[in-house]
Amino acid sequence: MLIILLFNEMSLSGPQHCLKLKCSECLLNEVDSHYCPMCLENMSSSEAKLKKNRCGNCFDCPSCGHTLTTRATNVAISDPDDPGKSTPKKMYYMACGFCRWTTRDVAIDDKTVASGGWEDIENTHAKKIQSLLDYYHELALNEKAERERKKYVRRRSHLYYAASMDKYGMVTVAVKKKIGAMSNVSIKENEETTTQITTEEKISDFPALPDDFFTTPLELSKVTTITQRLASPEFQPTITNDLYPKRKHLLIRKSMRCKECEHNLIKPEMNPLSIKFKIQLVIMHHIPEVRLMAPMEFRFKKELKVVLLLINPVVHNTTVSLLPVDKESDSFSTAKIELPKKEVVLARRDDAAIYDDATQMHQEFKDEKNVVAFRKANKLGVIIKVTPLIQEGDVKVSFVLRHDYRNTAVVLPMENQEPQISWLQHRIFLNLGRIHKSK
Amino acid sequence: MELQDIFYNNSQYIETASGNKVSRQSVLCGSQNIVINGKTVIMTDCVIRGDLANVRIGRHCVISRNAVIRPPFKKFSRGVAFFPLHIGDHVFVDENSIVNAAQVGSYVHIGKNCVIGRRCILKDCCAIADNTVLPPEAVVPPFTLFSGSPGKITAELPECTQDLMIDVTTNYYQHFRPIGKGKER
Repeated sequence: MLIILLFNEMSLSGPQHCLKLKCSECLLNEVDSHYCPMCLENMSSSEAKLKKNRCGNCFDCPSCGHTLTTRATNVAISDPDDPGKSTPKKMYYMACGFCRWTTRDVAIDDKTVASGGWEDIENTHAKKIQSLLDYYHELALNEKAERERKKYVRRRSHLYYAASMDKYGMVTVAVKKKIGAMSNVSIKENEETTTQITTEEKISDFPALPDDFFTTPLELSKVTTITQRLASPEFQPTITNDLYPKRKHLLIRKSMRCKECEHNLIKPEMNPLSIKFKIQLVIMHHIPEVRLMAPMEFRFKKELKVVLLLINPVVHNTTVSLLPVDKESDSFSTAKIELPKKEVVLARRDDAAIYDDATQMHQEFKDEKNVVAFRKANKLGVIIKVTPLIQEGDVKVSFVLRHDYRNTAVVLPMENQEPQISWLQHRIFLNLGRIHKSK
Repeated sequence: MELQDIFYNNSQYIETASGNKVSRQSVLCGSQNIVINGKTVIMTDCVIRGDLANVRIGRHCVISRNAVIRPPFKKFSRGVAFFPLHIGDHVFVDENSIVNAAQVGSYVHIGKNCVIGRRCILKDCCAIADNTVLPPEAVVPPFTLFSGSPGKITAELPECTQDLMIDVTTNYYQHFRPIGKGKER
């Protein structure tokens, strides 16, 4: 049994903007900042790009993926001058608290410093990848220059036409200027790309597999799993001795923007630990919530009173009406519903109301008993009548929720004007529960 | 759907002046070291080990049946030391979970059958899925969902997590209602 309110975030705005509900999927996501999920260190996008979106201090276990912790030990180092004497020295290694993997397992030497001593292993293909990157970067630049040139060419053709009809010699001057300007843009017009990539040789035959590949028994405990291999795609270690600590991936904080009105709807604070937002326009704070009050037992073609709970999230009284939808456009419903014909008023949300039990609210509103089941603070129970039209399956209904909405988000307090009231309509899809075939 | 009423036998629970509801069948060791700030529900068969170190639990928390709240320890060269455990407001700990964390922020949901390892840090507005094992010293940043064994980030939480958790825990407290007469105290 679920109340399907399809949207998660909403966009709000002034006259030139929209008052539509948006889900997080249809918003423009922007990266605000990068941070490490372990040490929670914040870094800018350029720094993150430089570090390949990985943290400089934290490492993941190559065996299980949990974060490695640094351990300190005292190692006795024998004095070269006096073989009998040894001095204790603090050495550091990394260990996983979950699978007990340590850097000592794969014969990585202990470090003398607690952090920063762990260097990455060199990727053997790094040079090749870099040359490919350079090559494609250049290609992209060339293509861009080409496009720019085409733009000018098109314009030039108009000018040439004008020049041929030119009586006063003015256009010819303009054409000459244009050509001069254009020659700066397409520097490499006829040039080939300067960097060349070496083409790989085609391999036609392989050397046969060595005999010991077939004869030596396979030790499964020494072979890495697929997840372990894919965790470091550049090396893909096949045996456990090749595992090496990997730097931790960064996470992002993102802000969201409406694609239509281009206003920010979600903007978090820079600090990755903060749960506050600079801008937070979420549906929970603006649109009344619809919930099913209690589970019901439905019978085929038997009318049942269902109580819907409406919750008002705003600090004004909200007038709500439930409207039917067109039968033709409604392929969702499997039951007939009878909605209250009159509007109902949801009381304003008052955070202090939970502390006093006095129920003055009841006098303020004149509720009809056949429409309103109960009223409690900003909550209201509305009765709808449901007649299932199916013998078994989900009992689903659909209607339109219409309510007034005061757009307080954009009106500045100093403007001293009444907030604009608009009427919003939402299609609500409700799954009220299953109906079981009666025996 | 609105949460349905959950009834408890009034004689089985103690309600304090600040609105805490603590089951008589829960085990609170070292109760002088346990601070529960109010409107928190501690259900049957819970264990809170206040004898090891201080335990502070915020307002509007729910500690479900069979959950264990146990301050973490750290091994030093000379023996072990226990650290205090702080749990924020509006935290929901589901059934059969073991919490060994050093810190649990506010608006946190911990699922069923979870193990939160020693000295984990759970920041505000995060969630742990059912059957998750968080290894020792893990850090859970805000707005992330951890699941699996070992627990890893598998999803993001919505921006309104704080409001959702407040709604869940306050509703739970309101619907956690007594039946029968209370015992004479």
